[in-house]
Amino acid sequence: MAHPTGKWAEAEIRRDDIKDLMEKTKKLATMYSELLKIKREGWENVLRAQVKKEAKEKEKQNG
Amino acid sequence: MAEFQALQTATAEWKPHQIAKAGDIASMAEAAGDLANVVKETLSLASAGMEVVKLLAQLQSINPLLIALDALADEVLIAIQNIKEAGFWYLYVDPYFIKNVAAEPAFTYGFEQLRNKGGDRLWLAKDLATDFSTGEYVQTTTTPTQAQLDSQEVIPHLATPRKMIAGGYNPYKGKGVADPLASMSPFPRFSVQQVIGEFTKAFDDEGDVPRYRRVGGAPKAGVVVYDKDGNSYSGWDPVKEFGLDLYDIGKDQEDGSIIKDYKAARKPINSKIAPGKPNILGDLNYVGGSGAIAIIIAAPSFDIFAETFDKFSKMFVDIPEFAATTGKGLLDSLNEVLTPANTVIKLTQCDSNYELFKAGDIMGGQIYGGLTKVLEVNADSVVVSTMTTQKEITATDDAGNILRYVTTINPNEDERWIDMEIVGKPIRSVDGLNPFITGDTVYEMEQRGTRTDGTPNYVIYGQDTVGAPPSIRKYAKTGKVSMEKLAVLPDSTPPDFGGIQIKEIIPGWGEFFQTLENFVLQLKGMISDSTAFIQDMIDMIKGIEKFLQDLIDAIVEFLEFFQITLPSTGVYALYLPNQTGGNDGIKSQLSGAGGIPDLGYAAGILFVATEGDVFIAGGGSKNPIDLLALVLGLL
Repeated sequence: MAHPTGKWAEAEIRRDDIKDLMEKTKKLATMYSELLKIKREGWENVLRAQVKKEAKEKEKQNG
Repeated sequence: MAEFQALQTATAEWKPHQIAKAGDIASMAEAAGDLANVVKETLSLASAGMEVVKLLAQLQSINPLLIALDALADEVLIAIQNIKEAGFWYLYVDPYFIKNVAAEPAFTYGFEQLRNKGGDRLWLAKDLATDFSTGEYVQTTTTPTQAQLDSQEVIPHLATPRKMIAGGYNPYKGKGVADPLASMSPFPRFSVQQVIGEFTKAFDDEGDVPRYRRVGGAPKAGVVVYDKDGNSYSGWDPVKEFGLDLYDIGKDQEDGSIIKDYKAARKPINSKIAPGKPNILGDLNYVGGSGAIAIIIAAPSFDIFAETFDKFSKMFVDIPEFAATTGKGLLDSLNEVLTPANTVIKLTQCDSNYELFKAGDIMGGQIYGGLTKVLEVNADSVVVSTMTTQKEITATDDAGNILRYVTTINPNEDERWIDMEIVGKPIRSVDGLNPFITGDTVYEMEQRGTRTDGTPNYVIYGQDTVGAPPSIRKYAKTGKVSMEKLAVLPDSTPPDFGGIQIKEIIPGWGEFFQTLENFVLQLKGMISDSTAFIQDMIDMIKGIEKFLQDLIDAIVEFLEFFQITLPSTGVYALYLPNQTGGNDGIKSQLSGAGGIPDLGYAAGILFVATEGDVFIAGGGSKNPIDLLALVLGLL
């Protein structure tokens, strides 16, 4: 129920502005973390492939 | 040409405010904005980065995420923009924490009047009941009429010896009929009506206007100066403050060319140092749109008030008065009023004939009014008082010669007088916390009635038996103060909600963005596919992931408080939507609004905003007050 205008009344004060901003920021940070995780896993795969490739080349060189 | 006067000095109380501009909320909002911007910047590079890692064919699956992230970052930036658009004036009325208004004690001093065990005042009424009555005074608890007091048919039964106390019998204040205990409280009172009075009074302060002070390079006194519209003024004096922003005449040419735009040529000669009360571009008597939200925290008892006020302050931590990072917090301040720190009091010459003080006793100072509950007596400190005095001895010898000599004696040979050290919990009197001053005599106290808030009213034990026969006389334990010192430091209120956590994160914030910047640079460069480069990239991402997790944790904690609403009990709000009467309109609505009880302990804040030129927050109002009403849950 809306607060009456022009009259004092007890009110359950909220801070929806802060709540809204914080919730959106939390969601943004969470989603960005997900993106970074995917990227990290991708880079980790690349690294594994790289290491494997380098090992294979070394093996080849050693005969 | 207009002639204008320098402003008179006045105390400025109105302050400009933008939500989320102070304290932890501001830090968090800034962090949110930075994060959103960085996310947007790095998103364009995400695809490039993914080119290298698409071995897992994740590029397809990542696209929707990138789009969603971009949209979310926009939402965060819009939310911040909405917050920034809302500019207010606020007036904070606080008799307890900042103490920018003075709470008045609700008592006057008078002679201490005896009370019975039930706390009723004792009177002496002339015995005139019958023809055979003696006309002597007889003790009664029946409250006399003013006429009886005036004719001295009834007189107050005052303590012997006479003692001035807060709330004592005062023939001039209410003529003594009303019992002062019924309206006395140990806490300073500032009522709801007083808060509203301060709200309306602030609109009347003629000295509370925008103030501007000279800046470096300002012209000499007497030079003609100009306002922002180019109107000229005489009377300029660089040592005085003025009520509008002023400019010099500006150069007429630069690099040989005539300057046609006077605004580009001029230089400001003063800058704003005080915002003044709500105004539109400095005009205090504007008749344009303005609106207000007043919030008053009020309760009939101080402890309930303190609890609600504390919660309120946390919810509005972006108000600079509540955002203080140093010193004591609000609850600490209020707690100090509610539960002052223990003290150690050293006593000497405690008379063992009337028993010694023990834990649980209430002890009071006779002259200076200190009052404390004895928590413990330091067992090692209980020793016989060292007392020495000199005595002249005369003796007559057989020849009749009188010999006189002085000898030192111990008047405490029978060990009647004792020294001791007690730890006491101070008790607030109605006139505040009174210390125990060296030399004061202390007595055991007993309760005689209660004050308006239910706290006991203490008097010296047995004082109503002074003058009675020794057989029924009651003697109080007694001693003398030799020293008082603080026993322990006041308990600190533990850090509250996430605000404290965010401070721990913010120092790392710069580092985080440095890492992100490097990350972006590396992605941009994408110069190497060496193992070292890839490992570096992975480590960097891990660092950012950790930081984001810390940020999320902080937000979760921060949100815990904001998820709840401030309970309505003790919080009263008045919403005055945008109206066209300017400051006068707000003032008259403020003083005319009903619906709030006049409770004894109150503090409040009044937000005022004036109508702007554009609609804000995509809504249907040009006044930020309506936006504030929305976010506070009043709409």
